Amino acid sequence: MDLVANNLSYKPDDQYHLNEVSFNFKEGNLYTILGRTLSGKTTLLKTIAGLLTPDSGEIEFDGKNFLKIPVWERNVAMVYQQFINYPHLNVFENVAFPLKQRKIDQSVINEKVMDALNSVGLVGYEKRKIQELSGGQQQRVSLARSLVKNAKILLLDEPLVNLDYKLREQLRDEFKNLFSKGLADETILIYSTTDPRETMELNGEVIVLDEGKVLQVGPAKEIFENPNSLKVAEISNDPPMNIIEAKISDNQIRFEGIDVEAPQHLSKLTEDGLKIGLRSSDIELNENGHEFEVELAEISGSETLLHLKRGYTKIIVSIEEVLNFKIHDKVKINFKIDRAYAFHADGKLASSPFGGLNG
Amino acid sequence: MNFKHKYFFLFPGLFVLIGILIFPIIFVVRLSLSGWNSYNPGLDYIGLENYIRLFTDDPRFWESFFRLSFLSVTTVILQYVIGFALAHMVWKDIKFKRFFRVLFLVPMMTTPVIMTVIWRTFFHESLGPVNDLLSVFGVAPKWLTDPVIAKFTVIIVEVWQWTPFMFLLLLAGLLSLPKEPFLAAAIDGASPVRKFIYVTFPLMAPISIGAIIIRLIEASKIMDTVYVLTSGGPGTSTETSSFYIFIKGLREFQMGYAASMSFTYLIIMIISLTIIAKVLTKVLLKE
Repeated sequence: MDLVANNLSYKPDDQYHLNEVSFNFKEGNLYTILGRTLSGKTTLLKTIAGLLTPDSGEIEFDGKNFLKIPVWERNVAMVYQQFINYPHLNVFENVAFPLKQRKIDQSVINEKVMDALNSVGLVGYEKRKIQELSGGQQQRVSLARSLVKNAKILLLDEPLVNLDYKLREQLRDEFKNLFSKGLADETILIYSTTDPRETMELNGEVIVLDEGKVLQVGPAKEIFENPNSLKVAEISNDPPMNIIEAKISDNQIRFEGIDVEAPQHLSKLTEDGLKIGLRSSDIELNENGHEFEVELAEISGSETLLHLKRGYTKIIVSIEEVLNFKIHDKVKINFKIDRAYAFHADGKLASSPFGGLNG
Repeated sequence: MNFKHKYFFLFPGLFVLIGILIFPIIFVVRLSLSGWNSYNPGLDYIGLENYIRLFTDDPRFWESFFRLSFLSVTTVILQYVIGFALAHMVWKDIKFKRFFRVLFLVPMMTTPVIMTVIWRTFFHESLGPVNDLLSVFGVAPKWLTDPVIAKFTVIIVEVWQWTPFMFLLLLAGLLSLPKEPFLAAAIDGASPVRKFIYVTFPLMAPISIGAIIIRLIEASKIMDTVYVLTSGGPGTSTETSSFYIFIKGLREFQMGYAASMSFTYLIIMIISLTIIAKVLTKVLLKE
């Protein structure tokens, strides 16, 4: 049973929330919608769920016009980024709610609810009130509630975004476990996130969304290795990919008075307005490197993010250790230029180190 | 913050409290133990005589009390149901939402006594427009002079006058509800009707209890409507406790006896409203 959408558009104000979105989701697969905030991820999921009606376009599921079916008959489950539960019910009643809406035997309900609670690790909490749970537990309750009904389509809208770092890691692993157990092979799993790392770890089919438009579709690895445009490269990297305006001539990449020998996949690109893309992890500190000035140094976890500047060029370097820098310090860096990407002036990918296009 | 004179600052409030609340209550208790009437004004002491008379020799008081219970419970239930329905209606995004919200509040903005005079004219048996319209069907109910129908006339007027207040409280409650459970309920397969039964109504329970209690307290004071509409008649068939106490105290000047009735009435109301609140909490909140 496929979920097919054709040219979905939704424009409630002067901006497109969805702009001609089309996709073809197949059962038993995991789809990740990657996009920045306000890119239309939630709108898309709500449209699939039936909470929003698009201005134009079609959704078909199992050959039937999905848009004609009211929300409560769609057999869709959804987990929101806010922890949405029923505040007046306890944990058990919360999870049982979707089943109570159908005529199901109480004994079957009990069994299914306990099953679902078991798979999210909340056995023993049945009688608790929702308000007495932590954020992570509340999100588990809503996850259990979405699992219990065996929906054909399971929508997860940034389910981890409001959790703290530790819980996020933990719950993400549990998600992966749940997904890999193959939540039954008939489910279409749609997971939206802003986090490129999450996208790579989930390793499903990725849909990159920006300003309501689908920019690229493909396996996670493909998106990461061969982003088809500057935008995708920015969205699918955190910190965003460094973009350097450079010129290539005589086999040299030239910018801000620096000459770097161009690797083979870039050497033939001599056009104007070329942009070189380099991940922050593909730049390293090196005594013999080029001098840059520190604008800001942030330490996040075990990583240091250096915001550097030289002339008009600003770059971010991530270093896998905790280092103390002061503003205006001079540092010397080296580019792993063979991992560089090149984009045309219009933002389209010109060449990638993984063999995209000219490479 | 521990200085000696801090209690001094409590006095202004305390004086007001004593003046308007504590003194009157104590005075009513003392008055109820006296035989103060128009022949014999003054605080003499006659012991529990008034209370003995009230409990053994005054069926009219108890009749008026049960009539009051019937009237207030019925009107409050009707107000709750109608008020909830109206509030639910304008809670959703409908056309002319603001217009309807204001429209439903109009009765509350009118002066009850004057509106009751107008209602009395409406329901006049031979001259009123209601019976004029009903004459098409060949019926002419005695809205104000039939002992049974008169009670329902009082109910109609009370419901019309005070449903807006219930509407206002319930609409405020609905608007303050979190939106998320409704999103979840739709996804979880609840049709609009089930959504109301399983989500809206339970979430509204605490506010409902508050609104019902407030209205019950208000409704049990019902006096002006009865006074203007039927003057307790025909006979005593629409007479309520407060109206009866008013007759005894301020028409017949049996101040001592009226005070004993007032105090008894106060005690009964406190006890019964406490029980009602407890029961409602148990039933609606399942606690």
